[in-house]
Formats: sequence, structure tokens, C-alpha cells
Amino acid sequence: MKKNIIISLIVLSAVCTWAACSKGIPVDEDGLLITTRKDCYVSSFELLGTDYVSVRVGAATIDTSALTVKVTVQFGTDLKNLYPQFSLAQDCKLSPKITGFVDFSDTLNPRKWTVISGDRQVKKTYSVVVSVQHR
Amino acid sequence: MQYRSKYTGVTSLLIGALSLLALACKKDDYKLPTPSDKLQNQAIKRTLGPNIVGQQIEFAYAMAILPGKGKLVSCTAEASIAGAAGTYMDNKSYFTNVNNSGADTGVVVGSPSVTSGTTTTVTYTVDTSAATLRYYYVIPEEARGKTVSIKFTAKSSNGETISTTMGPYNITRMDMKLNMKLSNKNMMYISIGDTAVYDSAGAAAHAGSIDLVYLYRSYTTSAFNHALVAPAADTTYLPGVNLPPGVNRTAKLLKVFNLQDHNLAPTEQYGNTFIDDVDFQSISLTGEPNFAINLKQGAGVWVETADGKYRAYIYFNAVANAGTATVSMKRYALANGK
Repeated sequence: MKKNIIISLIVLSAVCTWAACSKGIPVDEDGLLITTRKDCYVSSFELLGTDYVSVRVGAATIDTSALTVKVTVQFGTDLKNLYPQFSLAQDCKLSPKITGFVDFSDTLNPRKWTVISGDRQVKKTYSVVVSVQHR
Repeated sequence: MQYRSKYTGVTSLLIGALSLLALACKKDDYKLPTPSDKLQNQAIKRTLGPNIVGQQIEFAYAMAILPGKGKLVSCTAEASIAGAAGTYMDNKSYFTNVNNSGADTGVVVGSPSVTSGTTTTVTYTVDTSAATLRYYYVIPEEARGKTVSIKFTAKSSNGETISTTMGPYNITRMDMKLNMKLSNKNMMYISIGDTAVYDSAGAAAHAGSIDLVYLYRSYTTSAFNHALVAPAADTTYLPGVNLPPGVNRTAKLLKVFNLQDHNLAPTEQYGNTFIDDVDFQSISLTGEPNFAINLKQGAGVWVETADGKYRAYIYFNAVANAGTATVSMKRYALANGK
């Protein structure tokens, strides 16, 4: 009787362990959900100055074919310290991650970010072209 | 026999627990605490934020003795560093007037305070056994970067004396200057080192210490508006400005918004933060530009002078499209130019 109980417990714990380790909902290396969505684009774009106030002049022009984001910033904006903010298609993520202010002062070599689709299969690299408003 | 013993034990435990419960629930009648028959005292610091040279630190010092034991004779505040001119102790004891919207109402209880060196004294002129007096310590230049303690002492007619010491309080190294008036094309040259604003003639006389130029430009093509620009900045940011001879220094500027320091903007609804020495010590302005344009009311600019002697925070209290602005400044002298 005692032997049977012990065997049952061992079997039960093995089943529980297997269930806990079995593959459920897939997540990527960032712990983000991998979905079936293939949409992969930038839907809107914002640039903030050091005072965390927008420096855009008008809306950014996003070309999802040419993969460019063109934005004009106010005269006198310090291009070395701008905080970009992207809005992406559902379930997408951005690489590299934005962790703080970014230097956009090298206008001949626009900064680039790659948008990765929800299923993590489609990748599109956007160039962000910043121009400064004239006085 | 064994079961009987167990039964007896359990019963005893239950009775014990019930007794404890009964005792715990018994309502004790409230008894008025017995007041100490000694002279009592207590002090609080009423001001908040950094302790800046030239500003007041306000204390409230309460003292009391049982009426049957005696009355108050005098109250003394002794500072570890003598207060600057204007240091005094109020000779009124305040109460909240419930018939006047809770107004703070003072009743004179003593002679005007006498300050001698580090000591400020009020001598009671009325028979009172309890009072709270307010002490205003004006922070002297001598205390800059040091600590200050205040020892309060009360004396009663029965010969008792009691004291309490407040502090030590750190006195900041930074300076503060409020409500400096700027105007486009006139009082437009700012010296951080002098914490002053000059016109062209003044700037020429103090050319080596001019760090910033204030200007206002209204363009339809861009948002220039109110600006602080270092004299050495690109002339694009100094349109129409003819700098006085020798005014050519640069600076590092970092624009912020809604950093409403309570000392600089005491009337702002959200001005409940304080910029202190540590903020100037820790902020890095490396790589920042030498201009900040499109500044509004509520905006601020961190500045580091070209020689690395000073860091400052300049807050825009008010601006007007006539080309004027009122700014307030906190300034910190960096040790050894760093």
C-alpha cells in the first residue's frame, strides 16, 4: 500500500514537471509575445528635445515603401540630444532599443532602426532623416 | 485514566484562553495623563528645502510649565554661527483664530528680541505658563558650506531651565537671486559669476564675465521667441545683436521645462521641488550647445560657464512678447573649477 502511494506521487510529480516545462505561448528573447502578425511598419514618429517637449514642425513623413521617416525640427534644436519615439504596427518591436537621447547631428548618415513584425519573420530597416527648419 | 488526564488538560487550556479573552475585552476607563510638573519644551523647523545663505530658517519653539509651579521668564536661541542681520525671535505667541478663517493670530507675550552675537533672547512681559515663539535665523555668509545648530532654552520663574537643540543643518554652497528683469536690446547681458544683468555699457565694463545674452525675436518662419545664447554662439542665434567689445565667452546650456524649483517659483502650483547643491554637483552638461531658444514661462536652463567655475539654473518666471522676461537663478560655485 505504502509502495503504491509513493509510486503514485512520483508519477504525479513527473507529470507536473513535464506540464510546467512544455512549450506554451511563444515569447522572444525580450519576453515579448510572438504572434502570427506579419505587419511591419512605422505608423507615427515623434521627436522630443531635452525638455521632453516635441521639436517637430508638422507631422513626420513616413514612407513605408522607401522605408524612410522624414521629420523637420524647429530652428535651434540641439540635434545631439533628441528623444525619438516610434509607433509601430501591432505586435512589432524595434531594434536597436531606444534607451535615451540620440545624436542626430550627422545628417549625412541618418540613424536607422529596424522594425520587426509580430511573428518575428519580417524585418524592415527605416532611416530617420532629420532636417532643421530655417530661421 | 489517560483520556481523563487529556480531557482535563484541554479544558484547562480552554478556560485559560477564555479568561484571557475576557480580560482583553475589558474596557478600561480613560484617564487623563498626569502632566509633568517640570518645565517642558519642544521645537520644530518650519521651513522646507535647502538652507541658502541670505534666506531665513524659521523655527517654532514651544515651552510650558504647570501654572501652579511658575511662569515663563525668558526664551533664548543660541546659534552655532551667529545669524546675519535680520535674525530675530518673534515676541508673539500665535494661535489659530477660529473666528477669522483660521488666521494665525499673534499675542504679544514678551519684549522685542535682543540679539547679541550668537544669542537671541525674548524676555516675557506677561504672566504666562505656556507659549510658542518663532525664531527666524538669517543664514550668514560665514555659514556657507558649513552646518548650523540652534539651541533653544526656556527659563521659568521657579528657576528651572530646559533646552533642546535643533540641527545640525547643512547650509548650501549655492547662491540664489530672484526676479532679475531682462529686456530685449537693453538689460540683456547676464553674468553668472556676478549674478547680475547688464546693459551694453555695463557688459562692456564687465566683458570678461558675460556668459549669456537674452534676446527675443518674433519670426513667422520659426519659433525663436525668448532665448538665452552664449556670446560665442553662431551668429545665427544672435540675429541683430552687436556684442560689446570683449564679450565673447561661450557656455553650455541645457533646456528643460516645468522644473519649477520652489525657491525660484514659490507661487507655481507645481513648484514643489527644490534644486540643491547635489543637483549641481551631479548634472553633466558635457556636449551641450551654447544656445537655448524658444523659451517660455516655466522653462529653465542649466548653464555651465566657459571657465568651469559655475553651474547655474535659470528659471523663467514670466515672459512678455514685448521682449521682456523675469528670471530667477540658483548658482553653484564648482570647487577648483570643477
